[in-house]
Amino acid sequence: MKLRKAASFAIALTVVTGLLAGCSKGNSTNSAVKEDKGNGGTQTQQASKDVKLTFFNTSAEVNTVFEELFKKYHEQNPQVTIELIPTPIGGAQLEKFQSLLASGNPATIVNLDAGTILQYKDDFLDLEPEKAKYEALTNPGAIDGALLDGQFLGIPWTAQGYGLLYNKRAVEEGIGGAFDPASVKTRDDLEAVFKKIEAAGKAPVMLHGADWSLGAHYLGLTYSLQSQKVEDNRKFVEELKNGQVKLTENPQFTGLMDTFDLLKKYNARKSDPLVADYNRDSADFAKGAAAFYFMGDWSWAVIGTLEGRDTDFGILPLPISNNPEDFGNAQVAYSEPKLFAIDDSKSTPEQQEAAKAFIEWMVSSEDGQKAIITDMGLSMPYKDLKAKSTNVMSNAVSEYVKQGKIINIGVINYLPQDYWAKTGAAMQKYLVGNIDRQGLAQEVQDYWKSYAGK
Amino acid sequence: MNKKLSLKNAGTFLVFGGPSIFAFAAVVIIPFIVGLYLTFTNWDVRTGDSSLIGFTNYLEVFRDKVFLQQLWFTLKYVFFTVVIANVFAFFIALALTRGGRGEQWLRTGFFTPNLVGGIVLGYLWQTLFSQVLPYLGAKYGWELFQTSWLTNTGTAFWALIIATAWQLVGYLMIIYIAGFTGVPNDVLEAASIDGAGRTSVIRRIILPLTVPAIVICIFISLSRSFLTYDINLALTKGGPFNSTELATYHIVQKAFLSNQYGVGQAEAVVLFAVVAIIALTQSYLLKKLEVES
Repeated sequence: MKLRKAASFAIALTVVTGLLAGCSKGNSTNSAVKEDKGNGGTQTQQASKDVKLTFFNTSAEVNTVFEELFKKYHEQNPQVTIELIPTPIGGAQLEKFQSLLASGNPATIVNLDAGTILQYKDDFLDLEPEKAKYEALTNPGAIDGALLDGQFLGIPWTAQGYGLLYNKRAVEEGIGGAFDPASVKTRDDLEAVFKKIEAAGKAPVMLHGADWSLGAHYLGLTYSLQSQKVEDNRKFVEELKNGQVKLTENPQFTGLMDTFDLLKKYNARKSDPLVADYNRDSADFAKGAAAFYFMGDWSWAVIGTLEGRDTDFGILPLPISNNPEDFGNAQVAYSEPKLFAIDDSKSTPEQQEAAKAFIEWMVSSEDGQKAIITDMGLSMPYKDLKAKSTNVMSNAVSEYVKQGKIINIGVINYLPQDYWAKTGAAMQKYLVGNIDRQGLAQEVQDYWKSYAGK
Repeated sequence: MNKKLSLKNAGTFLVFGGPSIFAFAAVVIIPFIVGLYLTFTNWDVRTGDSSLIGFTNYLEVFRDKVFLQQLWFTLKYVFFTVVIANVFAFFIALALTRGGRGEQWLRTGFFTPNLVGGIVLGYLWQTLFSQVLPYLGAKYGWELFQTSWLTNTGTAFWALIIATAWQLVGYLMIIYIAGFTGVPNDVLEAASIDGAGRTSVIRRIILPLTVPAIVICIFISLSRSFLTYDINLALTKGGPFNSTELATYHIVQKAFLSNQYGVGQAEAVVLFAVVAIIALTQSYLLKKLEVES
């Protein structure tokens, strides 16, 4: 009897202490430091120390590839263990990042949108000492494009472009002949192609109805198209906040929206435009159910592995006017959307050093590049790549990059985090005819005015 | 002797109640107090700044028209969810206490949705609403299902209610079943001897005698549907164009997406007050209807 009581008391005690321990900060990093007996302590401290890093990932669709990389790195560097903090695709990623930060338990390495890193710049390590090294490793302009307010806080590792993707077979069957992407220089050119495809009984274009696509990618072009310089585009956004800009009088905005009306008219999802099932839209496009798709080369992650898909894809700039010379009609949107940054609020110097070494390995070693390029299907803004991309679309984007025909969409890094959700909702209303052009401009302007002076 | 006994009692209480009290304090009471404190500051994760600013955040809440709109939307949603879930649960429970065959299986079946997490459940219904039903609608020409329910502001509202109610029904059903088994058999027998029909038995005997179960069920369904977040996130993401954002969803967006932590937290406190007032009022009023058998 007594024994049983004692046992139950012991169990209860363990539970309580377990809970208490759970609350105290997990010091797993420090407690993992072990003396290596065999070396007699004369070896360098650094090599014998176990370092545990955490990696916060917002590229959720490639979680497993990262985990494989961590394992490989651990095999080559047994003292470094890296743990993935996954996030769900398209949901609650920032919330999780913030709660980790707020609870004083941030990840050592983060893979975040450049804009988010800028917002939390005080919490990240300044990578200025590493800058020269990465400038040598990357394509010209890649590091400049990754600077945030002039500071080097994150290492770029992928490059993405978006515009009007096309399925070559579907387009050619629609227009009844070979398709030369260079023939589409203006909105009227595009409409002519759409008309032919529709006449052939096919859906001309797939317009994905999610708020991020409509708000950030489509409407977001308004801010990037103002000028080739990010600085000028930032000024434009400031003017929007101060209410000095009337969107309905802005040629870039009206041009974009005229093209949007065109896409809306020939949209394959016309009957129910907001269903916005990304996998389904991408798959239908890849199988030729629609000839064009307003999306980016990242959709290869879905399309690349699809069975029964077409093989020939390309990308067109989104024409916003009928003057082929206008900025935007010959350029595709291009950016380095995600950066690797290192925590500087709680991480130890050992962790930071290990993190630096790991990131360098990830972007420059053969294993790392293979994982990023081959397994993730992403393109890297790096020189001397040791893996060849199978992503037909990012190769098409690269052609534009080589010719310098790109729209630098870096201005989005400086926009508030909710801009795509809020203005995307306005775009959705416009897409289903809930508001007209005037109403859309008003909602977008109202949104920016709410940020006046911030 | 007596002192020793009370000490021993306290010890026993600590052993069994301690962990729960500790857990409750750690995840409910302390966060609530800290949260209350945060509403009076301009706390921001990015800057780490948190100086006291008084009631500014609360003033901001009542200036946030969208939040008030969404609070109203939430009230409508809660009303329909509670009514639908309880009516269904009540009659399913009634049907499953008659001693028919396969009752246990059916009870398990109805209860299962409760074991499914809200996120999974939301994605499940999302597929149903946006893929399966439109497919069937197109195939058989059902006007109602031609387009996805989730892309229309009106139907998305009902989709949300259906999914939540579906999850709640099983749980409430169990409570109602427990309530029905508490209705004494002799009373029912007496009624049937007196020649009472099925409906009058339900109306005049079962209903009054199960008021305690009803109070609990309404309380649970009220608080649960007021705090729905996961289904909202997975099913509609607040769309189309923010028209189905429940108050909780709006609060999370406000705090974490728009980076207005103080205001978001203040809105959470307001929501708490609303839920508390409504839930307590209903249980106070309904308790008066309780009768002894």
